[in-house]
Amino acid sequence: MTRAIVLHPSDNVATLIDDAAKDTEASLNGQTSGTVRLVADIPYGHKCAVTALKRGDDILKYGQVIGRSTADIPVGDHVHVHNVEALRARGDHEEGETL
Amino acid sequence: MTFFGFERPDGQVGLRNHVGVVSVMDNCNAVTRAIANAVQETIPVTTLFVRGQLGRDLEIAYDTLSGLARNPNLAGIVLIGLEPVTTEEVARRIRPSGKPLEVINIQLVGGTIEATALGTRHAARMVREASRQRRSEQPLSKLRIGVECGGSDTTSGLASNPAIGIVADRIVEGGGQVVISETSEFFGAEHVFAERAESAEVGAEFLDAVLGFEREVMARGLDLRGANPSKDNIRGGLTTIEEKALGAMAKAGSTPLVGVVDYGQAPTKPGLHFMATPAPAVESLTGLASGGCQLVLFSTGVGNPIGSMVATTIKLSGNRNTVSDFSDNIDFDVSGVIENGEPIGKAGARLFDFTLEVAEGALTTSEVLDIRETAISRFEPSM
Repeated sequence: MTRAIVLHPSDNVATLIDDAAKDTEASLNGQTSGTVRLVADIPYGHKCAVTALKRGDDILKYGQVIGRSTADIPVGDHVHVHNVEALRARGDHEEGETL
Repeated sequence: MTFFGFERPDGQVGLRNHVGVVSVMDNCNAVTRAIANAVQETIPVTTLFVRGQLGRDLEIAYDTLSGLARNPNLAGIVLIGLEPVTTEEVARRIRPSGKPLEVINIQLVGGTIEATALGTRHAARMVREASRQRRSEQPLSKLRIGVECGGSDTTSGLASNPAIGIVADRIVEGGGQVVISETSEFFGAEHVFAERAESAEVGAEFLDAVLGFEREVMARGLDLRGANPSKDNIRGGLTTIEEKALGAMAKAGSTPLVGVVDYGQAPTKPGLHFMATPAPAVESLTGLASGGCQLVLFSTGVGNPIGSMVATTIKLSGNRNTVSDFSDNIDFDVSGVIENGEPIGKAGARLFDFTLEVAEGALTTSEVLDIRETAISRFEPSM
């Protein structure tokens, strides 16, 4: 089975350490256990959602905020630059604008 | 715990015994390379620009070139300049090291052929003299190591950076110095790292460096996402700078942050330091080597081959694909952490043993293949 690692109990993403195909199961290791059904093909080293995320939710890894979702993300979906944005050093936004 | 190294007149200890041929400015590089090509055991330390630079940039250039020359991995220096006034600016910063120094100005000796001949003769003599020196037993407190990552991916934060962190802790416990750099790669992790500062002053100094740099990016209207994470970081699964930063921080281990230094400057007390540098590896490695790091532990995820010209660079990876498909440029494999559950402590202990082996003369991939480069940061235009 595809393996995934969760680094902190509060994380809502897991890092896959095998290439994974859509509609297969990934085992969760590290700071959580169980399995998650993947709803997308996800490459080695990329992340999947382990809880359902709404647009605008914080993405948590290492127990810290690593960005914010730009779309609703179902459990098992690929979490990456297409649905997450960084919040830091964003000079493209107006000063004071809430990202 | 001890290691064997080359003691220098100023008390620093080299892990290598090269003679450095050092350019004062870009128009000297051809002579520098010709001399280094002619004499075994020399290394060329070239640079771009310097002529026409001014203010802060010019100071950084002089300080960094002389810092590279003072690095204890160099037994002696042949300094190649164009004319005596600028050359002296670099030479006077090298002299306090007490190491052999020969100075050549291309304008004063009759052009590049004469400069090359003279420099070759000096370098040949210096190399023969340096070769008579033997390594002597030294305490770990004589080690100053840089910790760097490049071509990162999500395996960097899982395996290779934490393994470096174990070595960093061992060096600091032994009384040595560890320097972590790459300012922008603290965006999103700085609040966690600042808690480790040994005093409120050091914490504030660190936060000023990181947040001040972020304000600079913002003031210019730039979106960091265009550069960092890089395209290969993203291919490797890193989504945001925050994610990259939280993984990169693991290289610093777990000891308190005791000091903050500017680009290319040497720490003055034992322990873990932060050096403010740009994130790209060549610029950052150049700053670390100028700050006197004899060795850099460099973790890579998707594969970055580059090493420092002056500071011996160990490339390690925890990505099984990189370890197998990029093996020509990897010195150390920690992929077992992810693949077989090797405890980080065990991988770090293996890496520590390997680090001492390299310190005592085992060669790295970037050394034997000469995958080495120098680039000094600049922030302003030339005039």
